[in-house]
Amino acid sequence: MALTETSISRRNLLRGVTATALLLPFGMSLASCAAPGGGGADAGPAGEATSDNPFGVAANTKVDAVVFDGGYGVDYVENAAKIMEGNKGLEGVSITVAASTKIAQELQPRFVGGNPPDLVDNSGANSIGWNTILEQLEDLSDVLESDNLEGKKIADTLFDGVKAPGTFGDKFAAINYVFTTYGVWYSGSLFEENGWEPPTTWQDLMALGEAAKEKDKYLFLWGKEASTYYQTFVVDSAVIQSGDEVRLPLENLEEGCWSHPTLQSILTILHDLIAAGYVKPGGGGTQFTEAQAQWSLDQEALLYPSGSWIENEMKKTTADNFQMMGVREMPLDDKATTPEGYMRAEAGEPFIVPSKAKNPAGGKELLRTMLSKEAASAFSKEKLAPTVVKDIVPEDGFGSTALVSQVEMIAAAGTGMFTIKSFNLYGMNSDQLPIWNSFLDGKMTVEEITKQLQDLTDKIRNDSSIEKIEIE
Amino acid sequence: MSLSAPGLDTALDTSTVVTARTGRRKAPRAGLRRRMSFDYVSFLLVFLGLPVAIFLIFVISPFVQAVYYAMTNWTGFSPDMDFVGVENFVRLFQDATFLQAMGNNVLLAIVVPLITIVIALVFASMITVGGPSHGQVRGLKGSSFYRVVSFFPYVIPAIVIAILWNMIYTPSGLLNGILGVVGIDTNEFAWLGDARTAMGATIFVIVWSMVGFYMVLFIAAIKGIPGETLEAARIDGAGRFRTVISIVLPQIRDNVQTAYIYLGILALDAFVYMAGLNSTGGPGNSTLVMSQYLFRTAFEKGQFGMASAMGVVLAVITLLFAAIVISVFRLVGGKDEGGRA
Repeated sequence: MALTETSISRRNLLRGVTATALLLPFGMSLASCAAPGGGGADAGPAGEATSDNPFGVAANTKVDAVVFDGGYGVDYVENAAKIMEGNKGLEGVSITVAASTKIAQELQPRFVGGNPPDLVDNSGANSIGWNTILEQLEDLSDVLESDNLEGKKIADTLFDGVKAPGTFGDKFAAINYVFTTYGVWYSGSLFEENGWEPPTTWQDLMALGEAAKEKDKYLFLWGKEASTYYQTFVVDSAVIQSGDEVRLPLENLEEGCWSHPTLQSILTILHDLIAAGYVKPGGGGTQFTEAQAQWSLDQEALLYPSGSWIENEMKKTTADNFQMMGVREMPLDDKATTPEGYMRAEAGEPFIVPSKAKNPAGGKELLRTMLSKEAASAFSKEKLAPTVVKDIVPEDGFGSTALVSQVEMIAAAGTGMFTIKSFNLYGMNSDQLPIWNSFLDGKMTVEEITKQLQDLTDKIRNDSSIEKIEIE
Repeated sequence: MSLSAPGLDTALDTSTVVTARTGRRKAPRAGLRRRMSFDYVSFLLVFLGLPVAIFLIFVISPFVQAVYYAMTNWTGFSPDMDFVGVENFVRLFQDATFLQAMGNNVLLAIVVPLITIVIALVFASMITVGGPSHGQVRGLKGSSFYRVVSFFPYVIPAIVIAILWNMIYTPSGLLNGILGVVGIDTNEFAWLGDARTAMGATIFVIVWSMVGFYMVLFIAAIKGIPGETLEAARIDGAGRFRTVISIVLPQIRDNVQTAYIYLGILALDAFVYMAGLNSTGGPGNSTLVMSQYLFRTAFEKGQFGMASAMGVVLAVITLLFAAIVISVFRLVGGKDEGGRA
């Protein structure tokens, strides 16, 4: 019975609904698009700043820290949090430390919504690009100016390489906690057994490759997600040879920055090594930790260029009595213009304090606690890696040969340290990976790789929508 | 029209229905108010209003929002953004990497459904009509076993399949090992690390994982064809191949079309397979797809506006793809068009 008129009214209704369907979301989303999220949290209550509480953390407040859960885990921050909670200068502060492996994806809505955490370890493959959040970060210079828990000015207790990687433009936005040295790593026992010497310049590599071949080994190998380790190696070596005249053009995306003669000579040697068959083929199809295990466990190759995290990363897949050791990345030849021992070393694991956080003072206080002797010693002992705090690692490196090499390299370098920021700053790594995979696979000439890397640099320089940051 | 004799219950019902049919065109508005009872209105609200509202809020509005973001320079991490119009789209179509990714997607959308459907159809035919040529029309011996086995890959999540094959393809992996056993020395060939083989290897994995499901789908469709038709064809002297091409295929055309569209949409996305097999985009970006590039642009480079623009382009291409497939099938479909719903 009801069928008679139902069909008509249903039709009218559908029509009306369709019209609403078209109009309503426009209104709604346009309204919401104007300002995604809210205007930001109100500043929390401020406490009184005293010598025990230099940033004035208010009593009974909460501190919310989000830490990248990578090679170093998050327990070192939890440890510092415990120390901070027991600090008598602060009243009833409670700290939560959350682990995350995808910092950018997880924190993106919180940054947009205006309620970011008080302390973030912006690290890992999915970290937030610096040029996108720089404006929303606190300047952390006052943390360096404050005294640590033992009563010494923090700036005086840290290595020299701390400030550079955390400074963007004129803002010191990040304190990097773990000290990373870049080098070329090898097995001390294997080298001793065969009477090989670790290379000191790029000129040594051909002979070493020949020696490796006699033993049915390769000189280098690589994995597809880590092909840009060789870019790091090549660029750092060129900077060690020729200093700022290579580094600054690269950092500031200048025209022709990849054509510097030193860089070209090093690329040519690497190309010759590949052509001579000293680089294990097939890395472009091998997962990077698998490739690294071919070096550390199967010892198919002699050398691996990497940051000092390599020891911790391969801990479980390293041959017995491997005795991992490192040397700094080497200059092109013995006519380097930089001081003896000049090397790439930088603090990694950048900790930031967002300005819009509810309790930025609490975030800074937690950082101050982490930089105390007690927390830093616990970290180095546990992770076999130096922190940015000086004079923590003993002579024996807690029994780690790699850590001893690192300390030696750092001592040899003194103040002669540099870092390369632009590749990460502009998120170039993923575009560089395929280029390096092809080059290492012997599919590219030096001219081709130079052109492709330069094109990539030029594209970013000419893209007006990407904010550039001047690097000194 | 009204053939019914008044007084008979059944006839009365018929006449009402007939009136209803004619009434559809005349639209008697008088009855409208009377029908808006509470029952009716609440029914409409619950079964029509609510779903539409949910659809609008959770499906349509994010779409519209994404289109808006595509026209801004939003970085993704701050509440501020400027309206830049179609600039993002202009820049996208000048971006060689994006165009390459789009080309890869188009290649996938053409090749993957084609190969998958052909193989699935062959298997489905063998299992249903490929059997002995005497007696009832039936499949090969042990067909139910094959049916279950070939469904296995579909049960495994895509990311597991991708990681599995990643290990098989690795230079020291299973594939090179097996080739070595049969006497082909591949010299530790990197299947996913060489621009010549990376895409082919990837397509193989996607096809491998999908064939089982579409085979089962086609089997179900073929089972829906009346046995008499098939027997009649055989009596008329049609062989197995002829039966499949002239009898089976036309009758399951709708299923093939749906399969083609589904597979095409899968191929235009392909994110999980690509991320698992070659997260870096493959040698020379030879397996990079739009969704991967989108993800990178958003989260690594902090260009959410640009990434949204890529999403819009991807959506438009997907719609175009579906439209092209449907119209091609219409063209090929010919006379029996009217008979289908």
